[in-house]
Amino acid sequence: MKSKNYSENIIKVFKKDGFILSKPDVLLDSDYIIQRSGENFRKLMLTFEDDTGKSMCLRPDLTVASCIKYLKEKSKTNSKIYYSGQAYRRSSGPKDKVVNDQLGIEILGSKNKSYDDLKILKTITKSIKKIKIKNTSIKVGDVSLFQRLLESLKIPERWKMRLNRHFWRPKYFEDLLNRLETNSDVDPSAVELDKKKFLEMKNIDQNKEIANRKISEILSRFDRKIKDPRSFKENKKTVKIIREYLKINCPIVKLEKTLNSFILKNKLGANIFKNLSNLKNLSKIDSKTVFSTNFGRDIEYYTGLVFEVYNSSNKEIARGGRYDSLLKSLGSKRNISAVGAAINLNNLKK
Amino acid sequence: MKNLITIGLPSKGRLKEGSVDYLRKNNLELSSNGAERNYFAEVKNFPFIKIIYLHAKEIIQRLSDGTLDIGISGLDLLNESPININKKIEVKKKLDFGSANLVVAIPDDWIDVQTVADLEEVSFDFRDKKNKRLRVATKYPNLTNNFLVSKGVTQYKLVPSLGATETYPFIGSSEIIIDITSSGKTLRDNNLRILKDGLILKSCACLMIAKKSKNKEILKKWKLLPKLHQ
Repeated sequence: MKSKNYSENIIKVFKKDGFILSKPDVLLDSDYIIQRSGENFRKLMLTFEDDTGKSMCLRPDLTVASCIKYLKEKSKTNSKIYYSGQAYRRSSGPKDKVVNDQLGIEILGSKNKSYDDLKILKTITKSIKKIKIKNTSIKVGDVSLFQRLLESLKIPERWKMRLNRHFWRPKYFEDLLNRLETNSDVDPSAVELDKKKFLEMKNIDQNKEIANRKISEILSRFDRKIKDPRSFKENKKTVKIIREYLKINCPIVKLEKTLNSFILKNKLGANIFKNLSNLKNLSKIDSKTVFSTNFGRDIEYYTGLVFEVYNSSNKEIARGGRYDSLLKSLGSKRNISAVGAAINLNNLKK
Repeated sequence: MKNLITIGLPSKGRLKEGSVDYLRKNNLELSSNGAERNYFAEVKNFPFIKIIYLHAKEIIQRLSDGTLDIGISGLDLLNESPININKKIEVKKKLDFGSANLVVAIPDDWIDVQTVADLEEVSFDFRDKKNKRLRVATKYPNLTNNFLVSKGVTQYKLVPSLGATETYPFIGSSEIIIDITSSGKTLRDNNLRILKDGLILKSCACLMIAKKSKNKEILKKWKLLPKLHQ
């Protein structure tokens, strides 16, 4: 089957399942994206300055572009969309393509999470079946389970937030674990020196700002930092638990059992992983689906379920997941949940 | 120019003085026509060498496009240059002048921030509590991005600076800076402090050559590089 026929057949399934075509803008305001996604994103974008000196870019991703369109239209209801078009990214290696064909679906403003997660994966697997690709396999992960684990651990709040923020950057995350394990993030001699200054600063106007931070803000963070409970033994134990958690890899039908034995072994609260129905539901689509805790750590915006579908030669042909904070980070004032997935057309071609 | 070796030297400041001294120590005595603002010079007894004084940044550019065969410039400027320029230049020798460090500096009164990890936390506070990005002023955007991202700091916005970067946090143009410093005095005088693990690069003046110099044969014939390499 040719690529064009693939797309046509996949779109037929999307439409039948109630997804409506969305045509997001090709040109986007780069500063808008940088302001929200961070400077690191600039590396990926193809940017130029328009006549007024404003920095514009070609859409780097159709999910981001669709979310921006959704926010511009100020939709109040949920929106089930599909897109088919090109995304443009600066290549970071000779094998990377600058122009990428993307074909995908999104439920923006998703209210019933469990139902919508299942719906997205169902539509994707149906469309793969429609183009007659057989012997596929599915792998899933859930970033939010790690957050639940973190909540139950005995480490300073700052560390919980830190590990949570960097879960999606495995290399730096490993650095963090090493630092936590060796307790090497506060230098006691420097703290003593700064305590003196702390007392001096307590006597000046607390609303005075230094480089956009109020004195009160600086002092309260300093105070919090030096009062952090830190126990070498406890930190070492915590790191061991996290490392063990990240090794969990099991068939989804055995997920509950596996997590329960992990909890028992590490003497954690019995309720940390309760209510796994959204994940267990996925076994309805394919009972051989594999669950891995270490999976889905390469894209920052996922916040819950993450999945990938592979063909018989183990090439990724579709991926997706839940991203409940992306729309807020793109400027929405309220939390808008979303879930989506895209087909990798390049790997479908033989 | 055919059969002529072109050497680019920094046109002002300590880098210029250091470069001229360095050549003199290696028996290359410079002579110019005496005019103070003359951009060209010759080398006594070496009629095939032509000296051009250029901005240190431009020396990197001209080495990459082959206008210069040899040049002296800062390692910081070479490392900051884009990959397509950088890969055309080879560092032959690190020299013992022009040393300076590229560092992350923050307002001294931010006593809760000692390390890059602290900075990372503060940058998230800016995003989550103020809905802004921490602004970083620098003349070195590439080195800054590589360093911050490798240390887990991703929530920031670059503010390109052309000079007097030390003033930026206090005039409301940025919160922190990444800049080059030799003694740290200017930073201290401006109420800035270097983060404990905020050293990005130890820079110094370097002898550099254009990898694809058309005059390699003459360089070999006159053994110019071994002469400079002593």
